[in-house]
Amino acid sequence: MTETAREIIESYRGRPLRIMEVCGTHTHEIFRLGIRKILPEKITLISGPGCPVCVTPAGFIDEAVFLALEKKVLLCTFGDLIRVPGTQKSLAKAREEGGEIRTVYSPLDALETAEKNPGKNVVFLSVGFETTVPGTCLAVRKALERKITNFSILGANKTMPNAYAALKGSADAFLYPGHVSVITGTKIYEELREQGVSGVVAGFTAEEILSSLAAIVRLSGKKEPFFLNCYPRVVTREGNPAAMALIREVMQPCDARWRGLGVIPGSGLELREKYISFDARKRFSVPEMTGEGNKGCQCGRVLKGEIKPCECPLFGKACTPLKPVGACMVSNEGACSAFYQYGEN
Amino acid sequence: MCVGLSARVVSIDKGTALIDASGVKRKVSAELLEDLEPGDYVMVHAGIAIARITEDAEKETDKIMEALHDGNGTGDH
Amino acid sequence: MTMEETVTLAHGAGGKQTSDLIEQIFKKHFSNPDLTADDAAVLSLNGRGKIAFTTDGFIVSPYEFPGGNIGKLSICGTVNDLACMGARPRYLSCAFVIEEGFPMAKLNEIASAMEKTAAEAGVRIVAGDTKTAGKGQLDKIFITTTGIGEVLENASPSGKNAREGDSIIVTGDVGRHGCTILLARNEFGIQAEDVTSDCAPLWGTVERLFQVTDRIHVIRDATRGGVGTVLYEIASESGVGIHLDSRAVPVSDGVRGVCSMLGLEALYLACEGRLVIFVPQEEEAKVLAELRKCPYSGNAAVIGKVTKENAGKVVMTTEIGAETLLPRPGGELLPRIC
Repeated sequence: MTETAREIIESYRGRPLRIMEVCGTHTHEIFRLGIRKILPEKITLISGPGCPVCVTPAGFIDEAVFLALEKKVLLCTFGDLIRVPGTQKSLAKAREEGGEIRTVYSPLDALETAEKNPGKNVVFLSVGFETTVPGTCLAVRKALERKITNFSILGANKTMPNAYAALKGSADAFLYPGHVSVITGTKIYEELREQGVSGVVAGFTAEEILSSLAAIVRLSGKKEPFFLNCYPRVVTREGNPAAMALIREVMQPCDARWRGLGVIPGSGLELREKYISFDARKRFSVPEMTGEGNKGCQCGRVLKGEIKPCECPLFGKACTPLKPVGACMVSNEGACSAFYQYGEN
Repeated sequence: MCVGLSARVVSIDKGTALIDASGVKRKVSAELLEDLEPGDYVMVHAGIAIARITEDAEKETDKIMEALHDGNGTGDH
Repeated sequence: MTMEETVTLAHGAGGKQTSDLIEQIFKKHFSNPDLTADDAAVLSLNGRGKIAFTTDGFIVSPYEFPGGNIGKLSICGTVNDLACMGARPRYLSCAFVIEEGFPMAKLNEIASAMEKTAAEAGVRIVAGDTKTAGKGQLDKIFITTTGIGEVLENASPSGKNAREGDSIIVTGDVGRHGCTILLARNEFGIQAEDVTSDCAPLWGTVERLFQVTDRIHVIRDATRGGVGTVLYEIASESGVGIHLDSRAVPVSDGVRGVCSMLGLEALYLACEGRLVIFVPQEEEAKVLAELRKCPYSGNAAVIGKVTKENAGKVVMTTEIGAETLLPRPGGELLPRIC
């Protein structure tokens, strides 16, 4: 090996290269490691819509708040969602007002909470992409098997393939999400390559991210669409067949609303008929809540890479990590939060 | 979006694996991976073992850099 | 912050919301020439020498944890606050608020830990108060300790004294207490035998430092909000920049493991037995050598230096050698999973 990944990246002087990372954990690591600071002028990184918190509409938080405060359920959630603003209030605010809200590490912990609290209705806030969905499906299937009737989920799960299609043209190449690819496998990226979409699957250590970026720099020189799996120690072409089968058994595709991007057909997942009794919306007759966020919020354009976070009129003024307006500012993995916290402009 | 943890499988019991990451232990579901054995390395996300890890990160990036250097890079790994 | 808001958990987390609350409510009403932003107020009575005076309330759930309990913590916290002003702890008072139904044997254990820790720190508990509250009015037991110490003649450390070129030393691996409490609550099903609280009385350590040098600019214990919060506090109070080498920050394997499992950053997790010390660069070797001989600071390390540029900010060198801002601490620590 003569040239390191970093040398390949830093010495790039070709045509402008726009690379979109579609995974919030990539965004987080890229900022934490200071990778943007070593990029040459010609390379731009764009933080795409790969943070489930960022793309979850305000109405979902409103539904969760309704369940906690009006229906008095015990909400179990990943910590990521606690501070996300709904139309009126966040889960943190609902907790102050007496809502019972617990952070959990796993959907299976939410199920266990239900088993340990038979007198309470436990609802798990199911956000996340292909990586996280199998855990939810496992919890729901176990609930059915064990006849646990006080457990249900409020779903806002999404899948990535149709999102890539919607983002086509936003970047010259994608840094595909390593842990989504663990589940889905990489065939989809070969199909995208046929459609002219380029990208590489990347892992999450400093070396893995740098070598993936170096791969994009090198392969971009060939002027034809490319795909390379730069995370083969974890990601295979087939993905995780057991996980995919489980998702298919428990859930079916549906249209989904992405905060900032609108409805993307077929990009969501909902419970199948066999498991419909675990849908908290049905069980608790949750009224339709289409709550929209602040009109001035430009999260959607940020997610598509059309503007930088600091070009949003609210950025750093009305909207900061402590008083977030848009989801990209509240999520620790959101582009706006990262720009603000790491002093980027 | 998906915080993953690489960890070693310590023991397996009825679809549940006890995993260890630098001395930190937790029980996770092993139901999505066939034939896991103690000593295997897995990627864990939200309490579920989602993949086997077949190599350490350094060796992998070395290989990728070598492949890039040799000018071949579009092949499937 | 407005008067329409209510108090949230973030107001007690030690970050920006905590300082806003203090600024806009307490400082507004309590402001006077002796009110301090440091860990303890340094005062003079009758013009004979200086005393340091401080108080601290302790609520910790659970009240027992690997490495200590709320009793030990309540002594260490106040002793360390005095030590940070270069003051020999002399007298403590303690006030207990105890929930109805609290086991007497546990109260005995807590008092015993206090006795032992006070003896180690060379401080006397000279006054106390006991209140009980009805079931559900509080979470088991709260302790408040107040302390008086004698400031050493050659000591005048203050958060305002950091100077360009100072070396920044942390006295051991970071984030242990915060991590221990997180695990002891058992909300996440994680076991880690190696993760125990670093809770320790540090007067002995500080006393030895002042025996080797008079030139200690700042000492602060990295409690709530961790080392990251202390660095931002000092950058702001002294009006200087701080350059942190993130690669040099000692973190134990166990804490690192828990942090990677839950998406947390060790620099913001609380310590209860770690000091952040600013000394002129030429004193660095001497101080470090002495620290490494002390019982609670064998892993002391230089983690950064003070700069003139970037006033009020903490810039860090990352694992790949790039430079970026250390994000400002803020808000409640929440696991990041999905």
